[in-house]
Amino acid sequence: MSVINVTDADGKRIPATQLVLRYVLLLAVLALTVGPFLWQLSTSLKGPHEDIFGSPPKFLPGEPTLDNYTRVAQTIPVWDYALNSLKVATANVVTNCVGAALAGYALARMRYRGRRAATLAFILAMLVPVEGIMIAQFTTMRDLGLNNTLLGVLLPGSIGAMNVLLMRNAFLNLPDEVEEAAYVDGANVWQRFLRIALPSVKGTLAVVAIFAFMGAWDDFLWPLIVLSDPENFTLTIGLNYLHGTFANDERLVAAGTIIAVLPLIVLFACLQRFFFRGVGEGAVKG
Amino acid sequence: MRINRRAVAAAAVIAVVLPLSACGGSEAGSADASGKVEGEITFQTWNLQANFKDYFNGLIADFEKQHPGTDVKWVDRPAEGYADKISADAAGGTLPDVVNVSPDLVAPLAKAGLALDLDKAAPQYKKEYLLGAWDAHRVPGAEGTYAFPWYLNTGPLFYNKRLLRDAGLDPEKPPTTYGEVFDAGLKMARQSKGKVAALANVPTIEDFGRYGVPLMNEEGTAFSFNDPKGVELLTRYKELYDAKALDPQALTATPESSGHKFLTESVAMNPGSALDLANFKKQAPSLYENIGITDQITSTGKANMYVMGVMVNAQSKRKPAAVAFAHFVTDATRQMEFAKKVAIFPSTAGSLDDPYFTEEDGTDETRVRVAAAKSLKTAVNYTPVLFSEQMKTELRNAVARALQGKQSPAEALDNAVRACDRLLRQS
Amino acid sequence: MKTPTATGTITSGPAPAEPLVPGPGRRPAGRRTPRGIRRHLPYSPWLFAAPGLLVVGAFSLYPFLSTLVNAFTDRRTLVPGEFVGLANFRELLDDEMFWIGLRNSSLYVLGVVPALVILPLLLAMLVQRHIPGITFFRSAFYTPVVASIVVVGLIWVWMLDDRGLVNSVLEAVGVGRVGFLSDQWLLLLSAMGVTVWKGLGYYMIIYLAALANVPRELHEAAAVDGAGPMRRFFTVTVPAVRSTMVLVGALSSVAAFKVFSEVYLMAGPSGGPAGEDTTLVMLVQRVGTGLSGRVGYASAISVVVFVVTVALMLLVLRADRKEDA
Repeated sequence: MSVINVTDADGKRIPATQLVLRYVLLLAVLALTVGPFLWQLSTSLKGPHEDIFGSPPKFLPGEPTLDNYTRVAQTIPVWDYALNSLKVATANVVTNCVGAALAGYALARMRYRGRRAATLAFILAMLVPVEGIMIAQFTTMRDLGLNNTLLGVLLPGSIGAMNVLLMRNAFLNLPDEVEEAAYVDGANVWQRFLRIALPSVKGTLAVVAIFAFMGAWDDFLWPLIVLSDPENFTLTIGLNYLHGTFANDERLVAAGTIIAVLPLIVLFACLQRFFFRGVGEGAVKG
Repeated sequence: MRINRRAVAAAAVIAVVLPLSACGGSEAGSADASGKVEGEITFQTWNLQANFKDYFNGLIADFEKQHPGTDVKWVDRPAEGYADKISADAAGGTLPDVVNVSPDLVAPLAKAGLALDLDKAAPQYKKEYLLGAWDAHRVPGAEGTYAFPWYLNTGPLFYNKRLLRDAGLDPEKPPTTYGEVFDAGLKMARQSKGKVAALANVPTIEDFGRYGVPLMNEEGTAFSFNDPKGVELLTRYKELYDAKALDPQALTATPESSGHKFLTESVAMNPGSALDLANFKKQAPSLYENIGITDQITSTGKANMYVMGVMVNAQSKRKPAAVAFAHFVTDATRQMEFAKKVAIFPSTAGSLDDPYFTEEDGTDETRVRVAAAKSLKTAVNYTPVLFSEQMKTELRNAVARALQGKQSPAEALDNAVRACDRLLRQS
Repeated sequence: MKTPTATGTITSGPAPAEPLVPGPGRRPAGRRTPRGIRRHLPYSPWLFAAPGLLVVGAFSLYPFLSTLVNAFTDRRTLVPGEFVGLANFRELLDDEMFWIGLRNSSLYVLGVVPALVILPLLLAMLVQRHIPGITFFRSAFYTPVVASIVVVGLIWVWMLDDRGLVNSVLEAVGVGRVGFLSDQWLLLLSAMGVTVWKGLGYYMIIYLAALANVPRELHEAAAVDGAGPMRRFFTVTVPAVRSTMVLVGALSSVAAFKVFSEVYLMAGPSGGPAGEDTTLVMLVQRVGTGLSGRVGYASAISVVVFVVTVALMLLVLRADRKEDA
C-alpha cells in the first residue's frame, strides 16, 4: 500500500511511481518557465543599497523591501493607468467573446451562399501583417474622431479574426442532432445558438477570453500611437515611463514588470478550470 | 538607451494610407508668427513627466500668468515609440503645437513643411542662445533653423580603475587620445587573455567625427566618412576586435547593453554623461568605488554633444502663442532652473558661466559637471542632422562586416557611403 | 442529455475537426461532420457575422488594401509618392538584406514549428491529470505567455549574456562560455528558443481543450489490448488531436514567419552582427518606419510576407488533407 493515495478526476488511483515521475517533470518545467520571473521578482524586492549588477549575481534580496512598489505608484499614477487598461481589456473580452461566437456560429452552423467567402475574409485578415497597417489604422481612427479615446484603442482588436476561427472550429465539432432536436421543439436560430451551442463551447470561450484580455493588456504600440493625453494612457505605456530619460532604475522597472504580469496570472488561474475535462461541460452533458 | 527602448514592443509603423490630407502642407505653413499671444496650445515632451512634473506645471503656470488668455496643455510621451508617434501624428495632421525634438527628427519634419522656420518667424531670439546650439537645428540643403535649442548633454569617459590596475596600467593616467585607448585596450586584452575588453561598442558616426573624419560634404548632399582617416579608424578597431579588446558582443550591442557591461565590470571604459555617476552609485556600488573619470576621447579637441530642441508646428493655429511658449521653455531662466534639477546643460548664451558650472566643491558630481560645461563651449553635435536611423544601421552593419573580416575596412565604408547616399537622395 | 456521437461527447475545445478552409470532399474517417443546418431566415447568418466582418474589414483588410497600393509607389512617411510600377519588387531582388530576411524567416519556421507542435502537446498531457497542486503548475506554465515580450527579451538577454547565468553554469561544468549573443547562428537559435519557451503555454491550452475531448474509453480499450504508454500516445492521443496539431502547425508557422520581437530584442535593432539575423518583418520595420521611412518599399516587403504566409497556410492544410486521403 502506498502512503500517497492520489486519484485523478475520474476517481482512479495514480500509481506512486508515475506520480513521482510526474512531479519531477513538473518541477523541471516549472524551473524553466518561472525561473526568469523569479529573478525579476527578486530584483524588484532589492533594497536601494544592494548591488544588482554584481557578479556572481545574488538571487535573494539581502534587504527585502516593498519600497520599489510604492515608488512606482509615486512616480506614475499607476492605478489610473491600470484602470484604463482594465477597461479596455474587459471590453475586449466582451466584444471578442460575443463577436467571435456569433461569427463563428454563422461560419460553422448555418448554410448560405457566401459562407466560404466570409470564412476566407477572416483567414486573410488573420494573415495581414499588422506591422504594415498601423498608420492607416491611425488615420481611420482620426477620420472617425476616435483618436485619443479608449474606444479607439479597443476597436481594431475588438473582434480578432483568429478568435472567430477558433470559435468556428469549436462549433464545427458539435453534432447536428442536438440542434435538430431543438428545432423540432420549436427553438429559433437565436435560441439554439444561445441555449444549445454556446454552453457547449465554454472551454473555447475561456480560451478566447484569456487571449483577448492578454492582447489588450499587453499591447503597447497601438495604444501609444492612438492616444495623446496622458490621462488616457494604459498601463503598458505608463510603465514605460519607468525607463527614465536620464537614468534607469532597474528595481523600479522590475517592480513595474511584476505589476503588469500579476493580474494576468490571476486571471489565468481563475479561468484554467474551464480548459480541463469534466468541469465546463458538465451542465450540458447532464 | 533611447534607441533600444523605442524598439521594444516594437511592431513597426508604416504609413500606408493613400495620399493624406495633411501631407505636403507647405501652403499652410506660413512662417508668420506675429499676432496676439493667446489661445490653447499643446506642448509635447519626451519622457519628462515622471521626474519633472512639478517643474513643468510651474513653468506652464508662470507662462499662463504672463500671457493671460493662453492655455497650455502639456502631454508627455514615454521614451519608447516617440518617433513612431510623431510619424503617425505628422502623417495624420495631429501634430501638437510645440514639440520636443532632437535634430534628426527635425530634418524630415522641416522638409515636409511641418516645422516652423525660426529664422523667419522669430529671428529676434537667436542671440539668446549659444551659436553652436542654435545651428544644431539647421538642415543642410534647406534655408532656416527649425527648432529652439533646449538642453545639451555631453560627458566624460568613465573607466574602471581596478581593471586598469590589473592590466598593469596606471589607473591615475587613463588614455586621452584614440591612439592611447587602442594601445591600452590591446594591453588589457593580452594581460587578461581576452577576458577583459576595453570597450563595449563598435564605432558610431560620432566616433568618426571625433576622430576627425569629415562626415559629409559642405553642401550636405553626400557622405564622406570613407575618407582615409575613416578607414584608419576602422582598421584600428579591427585590431582591437581581433585581440578581443573589443567586447565580443560589441557587434550586437546597444547603448543600454554596453552600459550593463560596464556596470558588471566586464569592460573597462564606457563613454557616459554626468547623469551616470548617481546611477553607478545606486546600481553598482562595487564599481563606484573603482570609478575613474576622464575627458571624452577626441582627436579634434572638440567634444561631442547631444542637443534637444523645441519645435513649433508650422501648421499650428496658434503660432504666436506657440512661438512665445517654445521660447519661454528654452529661455535662460527656465533652462538654468531645469539644469539644477537634473544634470543637463543649458544652451543659452552665458548660462555656462554661472558659478554652478564653474566652481568645484570637491565632489565627483561637480567635477564632472564643471568639466563638461567647459567642454561644451567648443563642443560639436557630430551626428549629421540628415543621418537617419536607416543610415545608422547601414554604417553599423558595414563596420561589423569589416571587423569580422568579411570586407576590408575601405570596402565596407565605401559600401556604407554608397547606401547612405542613396537613402539621402530618396528621403 | 448525454449525446452519443462518433466523437463521444459534446466537444468544447477548439479542436478543429475541419480544415480552416472548407474544402470539398473532405471527410475524416470516423467523424461525423456537421454541415450546418438551414433552419434560419436567409439574412440571419449575415446578422451573426456582421460585427466580425465589419471589424476585420475596416481595421485589417481595408488598411491592407492601401499597403497593396503603396507597394507600387515610392511613398515615404511624409511624402505622398508616385506610382512606380514594379520598381520596388525589382529592387527587392537585388537587395541582399531582403534575401537574408527571407532566409532567416524561413529558417525560423523550420526551427520553431516542429517544436511548437509537439512540446506543448506533451506539456498538456503532463498537466492534464488532476493531482494535488496542479492548478499552481498550470498557471505557472502559463506565465511566459502573459509576460510582455519586452520583459521576456530583457530577461533572456541577461541570462544568455557572456557572463550571464547560462554561461556561468556552462563554465562551471567545463563546457566553457558560448557566445549565444555574438554568433549569428547561435543568436537566431537563441531567439527560436525564446519563441518556443514563450509559446509553450499558449499552445498548451489549445491542446488541453482538445485533449479534454479524447474519450477515456479509447485509452482504456487500448490499455486492455496491452498497449503501453508510448503506443497509446501514437495510436490514441495523436489521432484524436491530429486536427488540433494541424491548427497549431498553421498558426505557429504563420507566427514564426512573421517573427519580429524576439530577434529584434536579442540581436538588436540592426539584426545581429552585420545584420545577418534580420528577419523580413524586421526589415519592414527598419526601412518603413520613422519620419524618413520608405513606406512604398516597406509595403512591397509586407506584400511578400503576406503572400508567403498565405502559401504556408495552404501548404499545411494541404498536407493535412493528403494524409487524410
